[in-house]
Amino acid sequence: MFQYNLGTGRESLEIIIVAMQLGFYFDQTRCVGCYTCVVACKDWHDIAAGPVSWRWISAIEKGTYPNPFVAYLSLSCLHCEQPNCIPVCPVNAIFKRKQDGIVIVDREACLGNSKCAMLCKDACPYSAPQFGEESGAKMQKCHFCLDRLAEGKKPICVESCPMRALDSGPINDLIARYGDTMETEGFIYSSDVKPIIIFKPKRG
Amino acid sequence: MATDRKNRYGEVVTTICNSHCGGSCPLKVHVHGGIITRIETDDGEEPQYRACARGRAYRHRVYSSDRLTSPLKRIGERGKGEYKKISWDEALDIVISELKRVKENYGTSAILFLGSLGDVAWLHNAALVEELLIRAGGYSGSWGSASGEGGLFAMMTSYGMPGMGNSREDFLNSRLIILWGWNPAVSCNFGNTRLYLAKAREAGVKIIAVDPRHTDSAAVFAQQWIPIRPGTDTAMLLAMAYVLITKNLHDHTFLNNYTVGFEEFKKYIMGKEDGVPKDPNWAEEITGVPSHTIITLARDFASKKPAALIDGFAVGRTAYGEQFHRAAITLAAMTGNIGIPGGSAPGGCAAMGDMLLPLSLGQFAALRMKGGDNPVDLAAPTRKNAIVASRLGRLGFYMGSSQSRVHRTHIADAILKGRRGGYPADYKLLYLVNINYVNQMSNTNKIVQALKKLEFIVVQEQFMTPTAKFADVVLPTNTFMERNDVTTGGIGPFYGYMNRAINSLGESKSHLEIVTELASRLGIPDFSNKTEEEWLREIVRDCKDLPEYDTFKNEGIHKVTLTKPFVCFEAQINDLVNHPFPTPSGKIEIHSHEIADLNNPKIPPIPKYIETWENCNDPLSKKYPLQLITTHAKRRAHSQFENIPLLREIDTQAILINAADAQLRGIYSGDTVRVFNERGEMVITAKATERIMPGVVDIPQGAWYSPDVDALDQGGCANVLTKDETSPAGAFCFNTTLVQVEKV
Repeated sequence: MFQYNLGTGRESLEIIIVAMQLGFYFDQTRCVGCYTCVVACKDWHDIAAGPVSWRWISAIEKGTYPNPFVAYLSLSCLHCEQPNCIPVCPVNAIFKRKQDGIVIVDREACLGNSKCAMLCKDACPYSAPQFGEESGAKMQKCHFCLDRLAEGKKPICVESCPMRALDSGPINDLIARYGDTMETEGFIYSSDVKPIIIFKPKRG
Repeated sequence: MATDRKNRYGEVVTTICNSHCGGSCPLKVHVHGGIITRIETDDGEEPQYRACARGRAYRHRVYSSDRLTSPLKRIGERGKGEYKKISWDEALDIVISELKRVKENYGTSAILFLGSLGDVAWLHNAALVEELLIRAGGYSGSWGSASGEGGLFAMMTSYGMPGMGNSREDFLNSRLIILWGWNPAVSCNFGNTRLYLAKAREAGVKIIAVDPRHTDSAAVFAQQWIPIRPGTDTAMLLAMAYVLITKNLHDHTFLNNYTVGFEEFKKYIMGKEDGVPKDPNWAEEITGVPSHTIITLARDFASKKPAALIDGFAVGRTAYGEQFHRAAITLAAMTGNIGIPGGSAPGGCAAMGDMLLPLSLGQFAALRMKGGDNPVDLAAPTRKNAIVASRLGRLGFYMGSSQSRVHRTHIADAILKGRRGGYPADYKLLYLVNINYVNQMSNTNKIVQALKKLEFIVVQEQFMTPTAKFADVVLPTNTFMERNDVTTGGIGPFYGYMNRAINSLGESKSHLEIVTELASRLGIPDFSNKTEEEWLREIVRDCKDLPEYDTFKNEGIHKVTLTKPFVCFEAQINDLVNHPFPTPSGKIEIHSHEIADLNNPKIPPIPKYIETWENCNDPLSKKYPLQLITTHAKRRAHSQFENIPLLREIDTQAILINAADAQLRGIYSGDTVRVFNERGEMVITAKATERIMPGVVDIPQGAWYSPDVDALDQGGCANVLTKDETSPAGAFCFNTTLVQVEKV
């Protein structure tokens, strides 16, 4: 397994104050549901075809013929301000980096799906933590492409989007640029965990 | 996949995805220790041309467990896919001895070649084999462009040359864009087409989608969706013309200056020719589109100038599809929207004009190999309705100027019936390159019967496709990742040097390597007297837009800066005297004497609505009441990538059926259904949806034909249902098909 610089943050699990918080922006009016972000992510992180996908797309279809309404939603781990996954982990394998707020899993520490009831997955309102189907599979999820971040690049999903519907960066910068809309079609803001994502919503 | 994740940073090789999806997008391929480890796309200066999911999954295609890595010889029945590995020497010897045997016993016309656009590049493509077969004495070819024959006929008769669309950033100059049967959200159609459509919508451009299906393009780009019955689009365009004429909204100056034959068209529209005014009420009956919707769209099209009417190739892939494109050209001329920024020249949904043709056709290495003219083509008289082909010189042969060529739709019938059936030859040997013929031409079951009749079939392929399973010998080809080539990204515009990323997998070879070895065995050692690099150096040297070879190779992507958007036919419209259209009149021909001379009422000299077979009025509709359309799928490029799990999981191959039609049949989304007509049947997953017109179903084309023991297709191959019939002027008729659907 590629060893990323996991950073600091483990010591203060209860109140996490980050120096800067990275987050995502998603323009739902632009997304054509082409799955380029999903495939680019799986290729970059060497994730085989199968149920594990750090990024996923939902299609929302409403209305009746001849006036249907369709919206797509591309999501990944949202690197929440108060991630529910962290306190439920029995071995403190999940933590939030102080320097940029990215939520990371230490896969060496993670007990895996055969020794743990996958509490993190259940705790997350967006089901971002994922385990493969094989016995012993450890939690995995979006880590904001830490390897690319180290090179000053944006996550692969952002750089792949043919529609430029995705962006990322310090959340304050994103809000200054795109506004602070925190809900969109198919997405409910959880004040419990406070996900770090803003939207240009599509309204039916 | 044998990638070492600790060492995934290696060199980065730039190439261009080459998959005939409608785009050609830059890929930056990470290679470590001779293995592709991951893929990025264009992250350079704007405009960036970002690859789609298909290109991003290409590593998985290269290393797919079912890649063919050694020559194969058939040991089981044709179609069963039972093979044994043989050496290249043995494989090539068999091919050569069969070519010689068939030539000696039956003559060269018994050698049939079919190729397609699996590799959209200038060196390694199917044309190499065609040139070799010419040098070997000739071959029987075919004619017909599955995507765009209807559009091509319309362009050649109306404009005298291929030309359509403006460059995509020009969408921002339009006030109205009509996406007529066009879904670039999935089919891409070059560079940043979909991005600029989104930007146009954001800039306040009104966008309307006319389509039997609420496509992703309709959902994302358009403010309005107008559902229409398949095969009736021409009627709606004619009714729009009626509105323009009766309200005097047409552009008299444009029509007078740049067109001929409007008066004849007007007589037909007003009913003076056949007593039937082509008014919106007439069209409503035929199309299912309310007359007031037609009137509003016509008024919008006349008043919101400039307006771009983009006529999708899909609509041309119906019976009388050429009439649709001719009618679209006429409408655009009536509103003066051809040759101006923000307008668009109809003829199809690509963007191309005279500036692009030399880029894509003239540079082919195969055409430099001087195979000369094909003796089999020369021996036969010129086909009577070959208006398209007659204007394209030598390329015209490929377009079917010779009667030796049978339309691709009729090839299976020609194999089965031969000269006794009125066809020009008795085919005995079939050479297939980059073509999934069983899957992608109409009436799969008939094609299967035909292929069983042939004496010898050789296939050059990367995978054991439904077509390769019929080969006697399979020659494994490499992918573009494993060879150098040059291509263009269409009217982006940009050129790409396709750098080889890795060595050929297993024993697979490039097309050039294969033809060079065949040529040497045929005793034609001078056929390709240059190496891959020497050919590419020559091509690059002759392309005036390109820098010096090594610079271009290092650069990888060479973007051509346009100072303003490319506008198709701008020169003709600005200065017709010095830039006439290459038609007999020098103008856009709404009425064409060339067509009139064909004296075929089914190919009228002015665009007309002709009712198709297998429509909702056909008595056959009592038995098979649903009209089938076969669209593009996001997980494939035609039939390419269908075997790649990373892409298969992003979308389910399913039949889309309107929720009301589904309910009538007790069908729910996710149910397995049987779809059938007299030509074939399949089982497939149903998706009941509000996003398709009642009475219409959609099976995206390209899923691989997988018959069970009773020839019941399990793979969802749309062409088991389509009819092997062509439109009178050559348009393919994939979207003119009646079927029934029932719950299994």
